[in-house]
Amino acid sequence: MTLKEKIESGKFIVCGEIGPPKSCDGDVIKEKSKYFKGTADAVNITDNQTAVVRLSSIASAKILLDEGIEPIIQMTCRDRNRLAIQSDLLGAAALGIHNVLCLTGDYQKFGDQPEAKGVFDLDSIQLVAAVAKMNSGFLLSDEEMKKKPDFLIGAAANPFAEPLDMRIIRLFKKVRAGAHFIQTQPVFDMNIFNKWMEKAVELGLHEKCAIFAGVMPVKSVKALYHMKKEVPGVKINEEYISRMENASDPKEEGVKIAVEMIQTFRRIKGVRGVHIMPMMWESIMPVIVKEAGLTAG
Amino acid sequence: MSNNFVSKGKPITPGERKISRIVLLFEDLIKVPIFGCQRCGECILSSTGFVCSQRCPKRLRNGPCGGTAEGGYCEVYPERKCVWYKIHKRSRLLGRMSLLYKLNNIHNWNLEGTSAWLNVFMKRIAAPAWFVRNDKKKVKEILSNDAQRKN
Repeated sequence: MTLKEKIESGKFIVCGEIGPPKSCDGDVIKEKSKYFKGTADAVNITDNQTAVVRLSSIASAKILLDEGIEPIIQMTCRDRNRLAIQSDLLGAAALGIHNVLCLTGDYQKFGDQPEAKGVFDLDSIQLVAAVAKMNSGFLLSDEEMKKKPDFLIGAAANPFAEPLDMRIIRLFKKVRAGAHFIQTQPVFDMNIFNKWMEKAVELGLHEKCAIFAGVMPVKSVKALYHMKKEVPGVKINEEYISRMENASDPKEEGVKIAVEMIQTFRRIKGVRGVHIMPMMWESIMPVIVKEAGLTAG
Repeated sequence: MSNNFVSKGKPITPGERKISRIVLLFEDLIKVPIFGCQRCGECILSSTGFVCSQRCPKRLRNGPCGGTAEGGYCEVYPERKCVWYKIHKRSRLLGRMSLLYKLNNIHNWNLEGTSAWLNVFMKRIAAPAWFVRNDKKKVKEILSNDAQRKN
């Protein structure tokens, strides 16, 4: 079953995430993919995340596809103008990749080459609309394509950044532009997430798109401190930090918290799945999925 | 949704560009000092609470990115307030929230550096929305029947 069919069937979806290497070594992806086989319904492939050059997301997705894993390519507007975006999407569709997550992209200042020119020809909402238009058989030029792609369109949401009101407006716009599923940024504060989710349910957005909550298992409290200080738009609950601080085995506690979160998400109205982001800790994926009692594949 | 979210239009003739430059002299006098106009030529000031969205480093036209820091600061220039944070605040103050739900077009880069006033006159871009009445009611309407609404 494809991700699209699984979403339609109402299954609780599990998404994973792999960051491609900073070299041309495709075996790294094959190796990481082991942890996601049979544990995730689909796996995100990041697109030069945090503006650092990495192996291309479409090429990595093809490697995953050959390994029998369904990929979700991330597509940012930072590195491509509208011509490159459409061309890359057509290429992805030709390779059999049918899931795309539309992102604006981190600003180039945060990457390894801050001197670069950021493109931002489109923004994420316009990208969602552009992919929806391609799905209907037309390029942005209004030219009809002989064969139309069939993308499952994803978009991201960050319920934790200011102004919180605008977050719902953006979610609304993304859904109206044609997003089929939404993946949220990792949740470290359940209260804010709950409020955001309640609002989304109130507007009926959970019926128009499948919302997957982000889970990021952390190995140590240091990672949390780093995120709190360095990553804008992240809110971390004090309780989370103190639990990690006082844990005798922080790794075990990190897994425990992630599992508890997943179980909470399953009870929240409107949450249709989880998006697990084990950054640099892919091997923990099978453990979390098993302990949380999730099924996939 | 409608498929026309790309700004298009007839090519700009050299003659029109000349006129545009003259009109721009006057437009700049007002829009640069007051709004920090970036001369995108496709002005959406009226739908963004009269705060220029093009001052955003990513030049986002449809709302803030996910990186707005605590207190509403920009992630790229932490000493500045996020443009969209200001837009939201101002729109709420002026009762123009309903305009924030609009999907703004993909920018037509041919219009960059031309006069938005002339572009409105030439019907290349939409006319500004001057007054918004019953903002709250309009928001409710947008939210309740978005399925039937055209973009």
